[in-house]
Amino acid sequence: MTDIDLMALHGLVVRKAGSPAAVAAVLGADQGEVSAALHAAVAAGHAVGRDERYMVTPAGRTWLDERYPIVYAEFRADPEATASYDRFERINRDLLRLFTDWQMVPSPGGPVPNDHSDRDYDNGIINRLGDAHERALTSLERFAALQPRIGVYAQRLDNAYDQVLAGDIDYVSGARIDSYHTVWFELHEDLLRMLGREREEAP
Amino acid sequence: MTVTSNHVVPLDGSLALGREVVGNKGASIGAMLALGLPVPPAFALPIDECRRYHAAGGVLADDVWEAVLGSIASLERETGRRLGDPEESLLVSVRSGAAVSMPGMMDTILNLGMTDEVEAGMGRRARDSEFARATHVRFCHEFGHTVLGADLDPPGAGATARDVRAAVLADTGHAVPEEPLEQLRAAIKAVFGSWSSRRAIAYRKHWGIPEDGGTAVIVQAMVFGNLAERSGTGVLFTRDPLTGEPEPYGEWLPGGQGEDVVSGTHDCLELAALKDAMPDVGERLVDAGRLLEQTNGDVQDIEFTVERGRLYLLQTRAAKRSPLAAVRIAVDLATEGAIARDVALQRVSVDQLALVLAPRLPAAVAETAEVLARGTPACPGVASGRVVHDSDAAEAAAGDVVLVRPTTSPDDVAGMIAATAIVTERGGSTSHAAVVSRALGRPSVVGVGAGVTAAFGDREITVDGSAGVVYAGALDTEAVEVADVPRLEDLVAWAREISPVEVLDHAPEVVDVQPIGVGLAEGAPADPDLLAEQLRGAPAARGALLATAEGAEAVLRSGVPTVVRTADQHAATLLLRLVQARSPSEEKR
Repeated sequence: MTDIDLMALHGLVVRKAGSPAAVAAVLGADQGEVSAALHAAVAAGHAVGRDERYMVTPAGRTWLDERYPIVYAEFRADPEATASYDRFERINRDLLRLFTDWQMVPSPGGPVPNDHSDRDYDNGIINRLGDAHERALTSLERFAALQPRIGVYAQRLDNAYDQVLAGDIDYVSGARIDSYHTVWFELHEDLLRMLGREREEAP
Repeated sequence: MTVTSNHVVPLDGSLALGREVVGNKGASIGAMLALGLPVPPAFALPIDECRRYHAAGGVLADDVWEAVLGSIASLERETGRRLGDPEESLLVSVRSGAAVSMPGMMDTILNLGMTDEVEAGMGRRARDSEFARATHVRFCHEFGHTVLGADLDPPGAGATARDVRAAVLADTGHAVPEEPLEQLRAAIKAVFGSWSSRRAIAYRKHWGIPEDGGTAVIVQAMVFGNLAERSGTGVLFTRDPLTGEPEPYGEWLPGGQGEDVVSGTHDCLELAALKDAMPDVGERLVDAGRLLEQTNGDVQDIEFTVERGRLYLLQTRAAKRSPLAAVRIAVDLATEGAIARDVALQRVSVDQLALVLAPRLPAAVAETAEVLARGTPACPGVASGRVVHDSDAAEAAAGDVVLVRPTTSPDDVAGMIAATAIVTERGGSTSHAAVVSRALGRPSVVGVGAGVTAAFGDREITVDGSAGVVYAGALDTEAVEVADVPRLEDLVAWAREISPVEVLDHAPEVVDVQPIGVGLAEGAPADPDLLAEQLRGAPAARGALLATAEGAEAVLRSGVPTVVRTADQHAATLLLRLVQARSPSEEKR
């Protein structure tokens, strides 16, 4: 197995299902190579699908789970990675609260869905997103020094954040697009898998 | 206070200062003072000074600083307190104030002027060294974060100011100044500097806001509700924000300070307790509320503090209200003549109306139905379906399904889109399932408990995402009628009068709007021009798209005289959309 075979399957499992183009975007890799690797994964029984949609099989997940500790042994043992991850977790907690505050506005009688009529309220949260984003970029730089591939997420987060500032506010937490929340969760999933950690459910 | 120079202006109500001069917050303080209301003394460095600061390459000119010192001396005279004096210490807040709200502007810094000596003195006077310590810690943390850009966890319960100062220094390489005037100078520079933050520049560029504007700096004396007898803090709503009843509603916390009321960590008393303890203060407060409501034309939410029997208003703003109260308040204000009817129609958002009219479980049904689980309500609404335990099954299912998972992850988004509702065992209101279900508008209940959902099998269930309850069986919801909602009939009648398009239940000839060709995927907005083209010449139109802002805009552009509601649309909602599309809100935001 070459590195791209592992990475293609890893990129696919982070997104759950997707096209070679989508997986290549997660990895910042060449689409042709990813496509070939996904073909190989299907042949090995690690994935199913064709053309524009592939999914990881249970056998593929097991294979990945066996490979991670070997491939990422050095990364997992690196104190710099652990320290960076602790910082990441702190940003994560702030972001999760922020997404919720973005969606639900405190109101007498209980929170109501944000209808975005209060610009001060929205701008306050966009501010917090900006704070978290700047911290996230610092954190990603530290990760990218150890795993250059992680740098790709900085561009995707930047893009989501720029869309928000441009007034396309669905890019805060929209579920059908590469919103900040969508990209952040993929990044989180990616880090958890590399580091062999379990997701702590958010309060 | 007198005008010491044009570099700094007192906010004493003597000058009518617009928000283009001193920003929104500065103008609001000035307006309250101009009405003769009691507000802690304050001054502003006007927006012009921000321009000068940047023109000079980020330098605060000596004459400006001299003017600030003069204004601080005025605050000290007025309050009888001095910056850095441990016995009678003046503390100030520093805020940014741009003319338009935008991201990137610096957050408020409270308790500026705190030092070790002030902390000790304050602890003696309040007979509460814990409060003095917490105030100092909070100042250092806020200053470190806001001015110096420190990235720190919130200070722990026993942290001292020394701990926080050390942490800030370690994280940023800069120290929180020990000297009050140095703190003030750094805070003022940080406010001006925030105008050029990456975030603010990007926002202005996207929205075409001129670069040569700026932000004012507002410096205000702080008052304390916890340092003496006959003191406390509270909040007054000029009407009940839950029901909209035209009675003042408030909370009062004797001996409380600042955020104690808002944070919900303390049990507050009702407004009557303040009236009993200090009748003159209570009366003055309610009168002030009435005046501010009249002047601003909307229900006010007023933060106040009483210090040694003296009332201070800290802030007033349009009150947040429940959707039900929004309807009643808008109609009442128009009936009283405080606002025009067309303004009242802008005061209730379509989303608020939709919440008020959302189908609900009848109480009788909810009481008798079998409760399978309770959890945290994460996304409001009621929906039913057959239980599926994984996302692939949800995607593959034919009929309505409810996705039930231990937790969700990015893997599950496609399944969540396919489901009518979502239930998880673990996680709270900030979990992935909660955030995504709200983004999708799927009713959800999260955190029902580990292992609870196995017993659901593949039966039909009903999820009440407003109450946080999961019921056995597919329960019927009941529609809410216009007549069930206080004052809504009036609002709908006014909308019918004003709307150029009528909304009917039936029409002999109707064009059904097809989403194809005008919108994109589900959830993507339609293009009003394309939609208007499709509608042109139609005698009447009908469709889900017409309940959206883009749909209403297209109807008005196309000149279609009639909209026919679909079975699951309320005429009231369609009318409100049309009225709001016709006259985009002229209210100041």
